[in-house]
Amino acid sequence: MDELTSVFIQEGREQLQAMESGLLELEQQPDNHDNINGIFRAAHTIKGASGVIECHFIEAFMHKVENVLDRLRNGEIHVTGDLTGLLLRSCDHLSHLMDVLEAAAAEPPEDVRHAGDALQLELAAYTAEAAGASAGSMIEAEADVEASGGGVVNTDSWHISVRFGPHMLRGGMDPLSFLRYLASLGEILALETIPDAMPGAAEMDPESCYLGFEIRLQTRSSKADIERVFDFCRDDCELRILAPNSKLAEYVKLIRELPEDDMRLGEMLVRCGALTQSELEEGLFSQQQGKLPGDGDPLAPQLGEILVDHKVVHKEVVEAAVSKQAQVNEKKAVEARLIRVQADKLDQLIDLVGELVIAGASANLLAQRSKQSELVESTSILSRLVENIRDSALQLRMVQIGETFTRFNRVVRDVAKELGKEIDLVITGAETELDKSVVEKIGDPLMHLVRNSMDHGIEPADVRESRGKPRRGTVELNAYHDSGSIVIEVVDDGGGLPRDKILQKAIDKGLVQPTQVLSDQEIINLIWEPGFSTAEQVTNLSGRGVGMDVVRRNIQGLRGSCEVASVEGAGSTFTIRLPLTLAIIDGFLVGVGRSSYVIPLDMVIECIELKENSADRDFLNLRGEVLPFVRLREMFEVEGEHPARENIVVVQYAGQKAGIVVDQLLGEFQTVIKPLSSIFRHLRGIGGSTILGTGEVALILDVQTLVQRNVRKEERDMAANNAVARSTTQN
Amino acid sequence: MKTIFLVDDSATILLSISNILAKAGYATEKAASGEEAMKKFQAGVKVDLLITDLNMPGINGIELIKQVRKLPAYKFMPILFLTTESQQSRKLEAKAAGASGWIVKPATADELLNTIKLVLR
Repeated sequence: MDELTSVFIQEGREQLQAMESGLLELEQQPDNHDNINGIFRAAHTIKGASGVIECHFIEAFMHKVENVLDRLRNGEIHVTGDLTGLLLRSCDHLSHLMDVLEAAAAEPPEDVRHAGDALQLELAAYTAEAAGASAGSMIEAEADVEASGGGVVNTDSWHISVRFGPHMLRGGMDPLSFLRYLASLGEILALETIPDAMPGAAEMDPESCYLGFEIRLQTRSSKADIERVFDFCRDDCELRILAPNSKLAEYVKLIRELPEDDMRLGEMLVRCGALTQSELEEGLFSQQQGKLPGDGDPLAPQLGEILVDHKVVHKEVVEAAVSKQAQVNEKKAVEARLIRVQADKLDQLIDLVGELVIAGASANLLAQRSKQSELVESTSILSRLVENIRDSALQLRMVQIGETFTRFNRVVRDVAKELGKEIDLVITGAETELDKSVVEKIGDPLMHLVRNSMDHGIEPADVRESRGKPRRGTVELNAYHDSGSIVIEVVDDGGGLPRDKILQKAIDKGLVQPTQVLSDQEIINLIWEPGFSTAEQVTNLSGRGVGMDVVRRNIQGLRGSCEVASVEGAGSTFTIRLPLTLAIIDGFLVGVGRSSYVIPLDMVIECIELKENSADRDFLNLRGEVLPFVRLREMFEVEGEHPARENIVVVQYAGQKAGIVVDQLLGEFQTVIKPLSSIFRHLRGIGGSTILGTGEVALILDVQTLVQRNVRKEERDMAANNAVARSTTQN
Repeated sequence: MKTIFLVDDSATILLSISNILAKAGYATEKAASGEEAMKKFQAGVKVDLLITDLNMPGINGIELIKQVRKLPAYKFMPILFLTTESQQSRKLEAKAAGASGWIVKPATADELLNTIKLVLR
């Protein structure tokens, strides 16, 4: 894809989003003129830009959309639910077309094309009346030209009479440039300057133009081409163009209509060879008789012109007033100053900063070893700066989650309509920032959760009423920061998760044994199991073959986690936790044997010493709480004896604490995460690797998996103990 | 070398026009909004022609043309605006504000360069 197309796709998607949020707002406030203008502008920009990149299928479609919006803007049609619905569907279609363009296909596939044709028909219904009217007037205008007649002047050249308006120069135009351009169409055979309008020196305004020209031009261009040359001054100048072999009557009409004296002008025409003396005399003679040969009724078209002019002026005055108002309002909108940067350039920068962090750490280490206080001093300043650079570099990749959230306004509106439910969306924390790559990937899982809440969570309005709840259900999207991670919540005030149904389903599916005793939370957590769905009837919303297990997997792929809390009858809360960034973390370096490991610092709570006497257990009593722990030495089968003194790093993840037993505590350390290559992906408990200042590789522990593993093990042990206890009592 | 000042809030259009102009041997100056353009004009940027979009948030094209025309240095500078077939009435408004002419979007490179040739001195 060339640069221009990719710029267009990015811009087009932004404008599309602007259009969509504008349309949603339009439903709430149909009279907000600024908003309508904004929607129009977005559509207009997409159309214009698509034309530039020669993507005709988008251009043609947006042309139709723009026409409708233009009528809406001019107050010719009014906002209705049908209209906004249609425009929103048009936005969807446009989004599909963008996909087609992005996939570098020349034409949209059959189904998309059909959908587009259907939409265009619907759109055309809103512009039908206007099209009929303008086509009619076109035909009349054509007829006008045909009407005149008379003797023919035999010449193979065009005759052009032009009187430039006084404002020409002030409009930044130079008469000479017109003439020069005209010459590029063919050959100017003769040219007479008409300075008659020039006043005396005293009255002359040097900024005004007083010149006119009679031009004989030989060219193969059409009349339209010649007219186009004067396009920019047509409104401001008098222009008469006579084709080769025009009727004499037309020349006479020209002479009569131009402001100069008839005889003088006639002479000019003769002089520039447009007419012969005899032709001139013939023409003017018949004029004096008050009757032109073959001339119909010259007054009628003129009157028509005046009327049209009058109409245009009228419309213009009104529009100017409207647009003036709009300008005042638009100025109030604060413009964010933005620079577009290609994402890969940013990635490259972050990568380099990552290397810088490693190199900085290495220099720091060497400085400390050298024990030169000045060197230590300067490297510590250096590493502080590097840290700042790292933070700012990461900040560059941070985007507000709001953009992702606002997409859901549309989704909720559409889905609620589809389901026949009344649902509001409440968004908080839209300004919360997180890494761009995370934002990009969180959309799908979020979409699934929101649809899920609407489909399974919120009850139909009647049911809600009978339960004493407001008829309109609410789905909330919240985002906030919480100790080094971002939390996104999807909250609904629906019926909550039905535990009995979930349990029954799980038993039916063989996910749990009928005899198993599960806590409420454990039952709820069953929804994350692969192949689980409680809806008795699979609706087209949730039943897309994507279960909650996929949602969880997607989120875990972002090093995040998801949980659900639910109160039956009162609603559910899905909580997604995500790391702030995927690239660099503050790590806590620990050593086991001769290898080093990194634990993400924001999960570390404290470090304690492991007493010798707890050697054969894997839990301990931490100030009255049970703290399960894992021994890294055993887990990773590190060779060698464990040292006399071992340490426990207490970590916390999503409310659960666990201990990790290590040999040495090596301190805080900035860690650039290098993902593991695919052959190591299946390893549980390791999230990535990093390079230490010394050049050694350290593995980054995946605390989440470790904690979960620990908790499960604990549960298994307890279940086993219970079983043992039961069997012993039975015996 | 003639310098042409492009003002458009659409990055696609800015890029495509400046590519065409560069190939045709013009230097370009660019701004993504009316405000940005006005700042450059007030600073006395040396350009031979202004090409501006009409539909822009903030200072729109027509307002920009009016304001530029008020600056003595640009009183006679040719100004073209970008428009579409459907916006006949805007053309009049822009002309009244002091524009010299227009370019109908989407224009081919030839149309664009011809129009520029027409108004450049």
